[in-house]
Amino acid sequence: MSQDIENQLRRALRPVDPSAGFAERVMRALPESTPRAAPVVALRSAARPNLWRRLSTPAALAASLVVAVLLGQQAGRQQVEREQRAGLAARAELLQALRITSKKLDLAYQAVNRPAPAPPPAEENPS
Amino acid sequence: MKLRLALCAAALLCAVPALGQDRGLLKLPAFAGLEAKASESVQVNVDSKLLGLACRFLNSDDPEQAAAQKFCTSLTGVYVRQFTFDSDYAYPKSDIDGIRQQLLAPGWSQVVGARSRKENTDVNVFILVEGGKARSLAIIASEPREFTIVNVIGNIDLEQLHDLEGNFGVPRLGIETGKKPDKAPPPPPPPPKK
Repeated sequence: MSQDIENQLRRALRPVDPSAGFAERVMRALPESTPRAAPVVALRSAARPNLWRRLSTPAALAASLVVAVLLGQQAGRQQVEREQRAGLAARAELLQALRITSKKLDLAYQAVNRPAPAPPPAEENPS
Repeated sequence: MKLRLALCAAALLCAVPALGQDRGLLKLPAFAGLEAKASESVQVNVDSKLLGLACRFLNSDDPEQAAAQKFCTSLTGVYVRQFTFDSDYAYPKSDIDGIRQQLLAPGWSQVVGARSRKENTDVNVFILVEGGKARSLAIIASEPREFTIVNVIGNIDLEQLHDLEGNFGVPRLGIETGKKPDKAPPPPPPPPKK
């Protein structure tokens, strides 16, 4: 039973060569306006993506470059400002430390060079 | 095995200069309690990086800053703690004693120890000498209402410290620098004729 169905299917689906003049008949059946309109549409739609495709990559690269340069400049300026603020703060700290150091050395100097207290006057002998 | 030994040796060689930098650096406590009690407090921590940065911003036209510039290349750190109080001796002496203990380590020597009973001030100046050169300076000054600790680390040229005179008001302490004076001292004046 199943063998019969398979054989029927094989027969039905076997490759068959088209009859003579099949291609001409198909071409004649197609409407005449379709082949003319199609190239125009194809040309227009093809021209735009080509131009865009050609320019989009360099434009994106150029834009990225400009953005990168601007961001780099901004970061550089911020870095310089940060460094300057830190440097001025460090300078103030250093000067303050040296002032305190000198003040304390001066205190030591004054203490070292202070004249010795005068000895107490000798008591007079009452006799 | 040889590679491991070489790596260990390299690590030790790298560690030696770092240890050298710490020599003379006092371990200053946080003094958190004192800061709360003090009416004014100053804490300065200028390490070698900050010192390099600060030195780039010193203006040589200003005499004070020009004097400080001379130290820039030789110092590696400046640390100061100063607390001022509204009442006498509001700080515990134990805080000072802890730092004094550190100054008993070999190499440190006290060059000035001045105490005034009248004004109740006590100033001690210590220097760490290595290879005939001063590598660190420490000052501990206690006054009734003020307590100061200074630690200056680096190749301290005492002549340069003297050169600060007039700029930061540093006096000549008469510390031996090991250098001979340029000129012989002038002879004493002759006794007056009677």
